Amino acid sequence: MSNIPGPKIADLYRKTNEIRQNTLDMCIRARTGHVTSSFSCAELLTALYQGGIMRYDPQNPKWEDRDRFILSKGQASPILYNVLADLGFFPKDWLDGFATGEGHFGVHLQGDIPGVEYTMGSLGHGLGIGSGVALAAKMGLKDYHTFVLMGDAECYEGSVWEAAMFAAHHRLNNLTAIVDRNGYGVMGATEEIVKLNPFDEKFKSFGWDVRKINGHSIEEICSALEDVRTRKTEKPLAIVADTVKGKGIEFIESVARWHGLAPLGEEGVKAKGQLGEYSEEVQRWATRKYL
Amino acid sequence: MGDEKISLKNISMRDAFFMNLYEIAREDPHVMVLSADMGAPALDRFRRDFGNRFINVGIAEHNMIAVATGLANEGKKVYTYAIAPFITSRCHEFTKVDASLMKTPLTLIGVGAGFGYEDSGPTHHTTEDISIMRALPGLEILSPSDSVIAGKCARYTYNSQHPCYLRLERQKVPLIYGDDEDVNQGFAELRKGSDLAIVSTGNMVHRALDVASKVGNLDVGVIDLYRPKQISPEFVQALSQYKRVVSLEEHLLAGGLGSIVAEAICDNRLPTQLKRIGINDKYIYKYGRDALHRAAGIDEQSVIAAVQNF
Repeated sequence: MSNIPGPKIADLYRKTNEIRQNTLDMCIRARTGHVTSSFSCAELLTALYQGGIMRYDPQNPKWEDRDRFILSKGQASPILYNVLADLGFFPKDWLDGFATGEGHFGVHLQGDIPGVEYTMGSLGHGLGIGSGVALAAKMGLKDYHTFVLMGDAECYEGSVWEAAMFAAHHRLNNLTAIVDRNGYGVMGATEEIVKLNPFDEKFKSFGWDVRKINGHSIEEICSALEDVRTRKTEKPLAIVADTVKGKGIEFIESVARWHGLAPLGEEGVKAKGQLGEYSEEVQRWATRKYL
Repeated sequence: MGDEKISLKNISMRDAFFMNLYEIAREDPHVMVLSADMGAPALDRFRRDFGNRFINVGIAEHNMIAVATGLANEGKKVYTYAIAPFITSRCHEFTKVDASLMKTPLTLIGVGAGFGYEDSGPTHHTTEDISIMRALPGLEILSPSDSVIAGKCARYTYNSQHPCYLRLERQKVPLIYGDDEDVNQGFAELRKGSDLAIVSTGNMVHRALDVASKVGNLDVGVIDLYRPKQISPEFVQALSQYKRVVSLEEHLLAGGLGSIVAEAICDNRLPTQLKRIGINDKYIYKYGRDALHRAAGIDEQSVIAAVQNF
């Protein structure tokens, strides 16, 4: 388990819940946005940004020594925008203009927004770019770490495995790939579309260290990431985070038809109700065994 | 400078480019070359002297563009290198998103433009690169017609703040330019004529010059558009001198050089008539450049006939 004290962990769950609520509100307002893809990686983002894992400076988004975070599953932009706004990378009222004519950003991730490293939306780009970023750190003897968050269905793209080979060959142990293994593509379960399992074995056979965790457990996420800078290996690290697509709103969890949609009208009200306020119960559902 | 011209005489465009890039890399430790498992005599020295600044990424063009993008955004000056069809068509969407959309200043070098891989068949021909690469906003195309211009493209791309695609003829071709040519011009009127002009790019500029000197009954000018996306007022002015213009390309007619010239004429309301000569909507299984050119109708005799009948 991680070294983060219990009260801090509870704070992180509270923060995650707040970010989910704000993200849902934003998407309901805009009547669009990939809510389910955002919610499967909510705890992952909270742990990275607020769990003491990543180095960054909201006042200086291009700080040379910042860790590089690449959201390769760019359709989860709604939750990253909410995390960044919450930290003060840009004014919170920018969220109000999400996917509107006057807004700063839309459904897929936009690289010119403070705190966002690269434009993403087309899948399979992030790990290769992250490999270049990590290689540049090695060449320049810089100690920033590069994190790439991918979707599992994104890993159907062959370019992911081109990059996986490259990163292992070049011993990029300063690169961590986190896979949001929510088990779903657009139309259904990955194991019914084209089998991805045994998923972690794939990364292992490509020369990566692999850690399999519950991607909704802040404790497990922090524990898996707290030594990324000091690992005694030359292998890059893959975190396979088992998650639930749409986590937190029961009627959309792992239901394929909700991909890319925001619940509206009565369903929006119901969704907000199910998300609820932070409670010990929320913390328990986040960490329950589900796969 | 005359010595340099002589020394370039028997050197391919590729080697002329890499020779100059080597000199730049000696000055700047951030210069890197990524190759999709493709070498060149002039690259051997780069590999030997600059070690980890040459990376063979394997036959993985998508990843090459992505890795180059990551490196370039961390301050490296990155050149990616492959056979032309694979660095253009194969990874086109990566170039769109990572280089063009994100304005990443990296350079793509494709060797074997047109039918350069003359014995290899259509998989290795590159007869659509101008069309598809010019559709990428902010990405410049450089299409040199000799080793002088190709060599100058090293410094030009090094200084550029936008992505570039350098399309190189694979075979050695005679020199056209002196060392004083300024690539910022983007084109050169190599020969003035009073009846019509042939506009061409890359290796076909040599065919245009040959044809111009052989059609005895016509006074034919030749314009080399070696930066085909740069339609400058000076280029339009050069076109406007002619009542008739022939475009000549070793490329599909759809969206290629002929389309660029047609757009320049149309957008600037020139009264110039245009005849486009190029490959008309087909792939060709022929081996040897002469046979390919005859099949495409861009061999010398066909071009002379087309010019005379225009």
